[in-house]
Amino acid sequence: MIETWNLLLGGFATAIQPANLMWAFIGCVLGTAIGVLPGIGPALTVAMLLPITAKVDPSGALIMLCGVYYGAAYGGSTTSILMNTPGESSSIMTALEGNTMAKHGRAGPALATAAIGSFIAGTIGVLLLTLFAPLVADFALKFGPAEFFSLMVLAFVTVSSVLGASMVRGLASLSLGLAIGLVGMDAIAGIPRYTGNVPEFIDGIEFVLVAVGLFAVGEALYNVLFEPKTDPGTRNKLSSIWMTRDDWKRSWPAWLRGTAIGFPFGSVPAGGAEIPTFLSYSTERKLSKHPKDFSSEGGKGAIEGVAGPEAANNANAAGALVPLLTLGIPTSATAAILIGAFQNYNIQPGPLLFQTSGPLVWGLIASLYIGNLMLLVLNLPLVGMWARLLTIPKPQLYAGILVFASIGVYGMRQSSFDLFLMYVIGVIGVIMRRFDFPVAPVIVGMILGPMSEKQLRNALSISQGDWLIFFKQPIACTFMVLTILVMFVPMILRKRGVRLSEDD
Amino acid sequence: MLKHPVQLAIAIAFLALAAVFAIGASQLPSDGGYAGVGSSFVPWVVSAFLAIIGLLLAYQAVTTGFRSLDAGDAIGSADRRGALWVSAGILLMAALITRIGFVPGATILFVCAARGFGSVRPLRDIVIGAFISFPVFWLFTLVLDVNLPRLINDWL
Repeated sequence: MIETWNLLLGGFATAIQPANLMWAFIGCVLGTAIGVLPGIGPALTVAMLLPITAKVDPSGALIMLCGVYYGAAYGGSTTSILMNTPGESSSIMTALEGNTMAKHGRAGPALATAAIGSFIAGTIGVLLLTLFAPLVADFALKFGPAEFFSLMVLAFVTVSSVLGASMVRGLASLSLGLAIGLVGMDAIAGIPRYTGNVPEFIDGIEFVLVAVGLFAVGEALYNVLFEPKTDPGTRNKLSSIWMTRDDWKRSWPAWLRGTAIGFPFGSVPAGGAEIPTFLSYSTERKLSKHPKDFSSEGGKGAIEGVAGPEAANNANAAGALVPLLTLGIPTSATAAILIGAFQNYNIQPGPLLFQTSGPLVWGLIASLYIGNLMLLVLNLPLVGMWARLLTIPKPQLYAGILVFASIGVYGMRQSSFDLFLMYVIGVIGVIMRRFDFPVAPVIVGMILGPMSEKQLRNALSISQGDWLIFFKQPIACTFMVLTILVMFVPMILRKRGVRLSEDD
Repeated sequence: MLKHPVQLAIAIAFLALAAVFAIGASQLPSDGGYAGVGSSFVPWVVSAFLAIIGLLLAYQAVTTGFRSLDAGDAIGSADRRGALWVSAGILLMAALITRIGFVPGATILFVCAARGFGSVRPLRDIVIGAFISFPVFWLFTLVLDVNLPRLINDWL
């Protein structure tokens, strides 16, 4: 335990270097901005920023990318509360009560409880990350290829079956991602596959390109085709952000409960923050002493219905870093792209990360504490500034997103071929959106697919071709059994009328 | 008469993709050494996976349509002109970027996309587009060392 604190202190020494503080700040500002803006999410932003990994040192770049990831979880609440159009799907629950409060002139306290709740949940989340990550990494040192392969299968199935309206369409997206992941050099034998003699395909299809195509181009085309052109209506006025004594009393327990719900859900591959925010909202509704305040009862908006889900959302973001850093398993599209960022530096997130890149990891974790503090300052006193971002008209907003997206893609390897490919993938993205195929499984499939093939073939090499290895070893077998159980989760959820949408 | 032709087309696209991947897999070496599975094994699995998904989607499409889907086949209300403008912007930039340079290319994309989303002031959009592209160009070329194509004859 003392050892952990020493490592963390060492991490702080890295994190407070001026350059790293600057990267954290840039990440937090960008993250908040994209959280506020509709149509652009953390997965896309992190993907577009990946070219910086070519130039910036690993700790600076990763600190910034994590700041974006983290900041987006803060910014999402502003749009939900002021406009009733959630910037991220994980803030849908916040919109329910938050926007009702804003309509009754209480936008300020709603924003305050969201920001403070995010800070508390984020800080507790990072604290739990500090405590648990080394333990999980130690445990995972026992994992061999068989364990990793079965864990990846579990991640595939949860990401694609839990989200979206239909398991078939979730798995369809996964199959597309796996297929894309096959293009390029076979990781074990070095044989080119599915390149169709196009030289650009030998290195494989860059996931940045797929992410930007699906998220930016797909979103823009979908929006222009099917969404109304008019601005989404009135914006609620900002009021004083001071919370009353009663507001505090009602927010505190909701923050803590939200954290308790959000963190564990983040650390299992359940695909984003929808389930925990939903659960937190329904918990607060059940436990509230003021059920009449909830919007569904025609009330003026219940503050605990904002406090809980927002806390859950941020604790979830911290929780997701546990499997990401210790196992190399992404639990959402953003996490999958973060893994890609590590890989650009030839660093493989996983149990060995804490040993081989100790200073980097601990610097990253320490920067999350600092980032949370920065985000509290950015989001509470400066909330009015962010609200002004919402006045950017839609044509210029989407045109700007497309310009940045194309730069990100073109900047990777200066190939106009990639821009055409990005457009084609964008058109596929429109079809997927229209027919409600979730997008995240594509990204997770294409990043995790080649990794899992490697583990599979290594595991079978060790067992000399014996497939039962995945069931003979207790840990691998546990993951396989869990995989089968997870298949039933969406059925149960749907029976109870819960429909989850995904986070982009 | 088919109620969901587009949905069936999507299912058929999955089946076609499965076929393409199966043909590709059949041309890969299957020698697997100790593991017993070689380069072609996972491609076969993915191909089979795609085929199963294609069949399931086809079944849903010809029966009641994709499950729990609100949109159905309604693509009639779409704003095709807007989408054409956005598409034209992206494709023009892709085609021209190496010839006219990064800043003009990005500006064309900006103007076309804004037009697609209903902006009626192209001159103002040109100014904003260039205003966004210039600093990004400098950031990428000077700070990040990414080579972006310069303006004609390298003036900038």
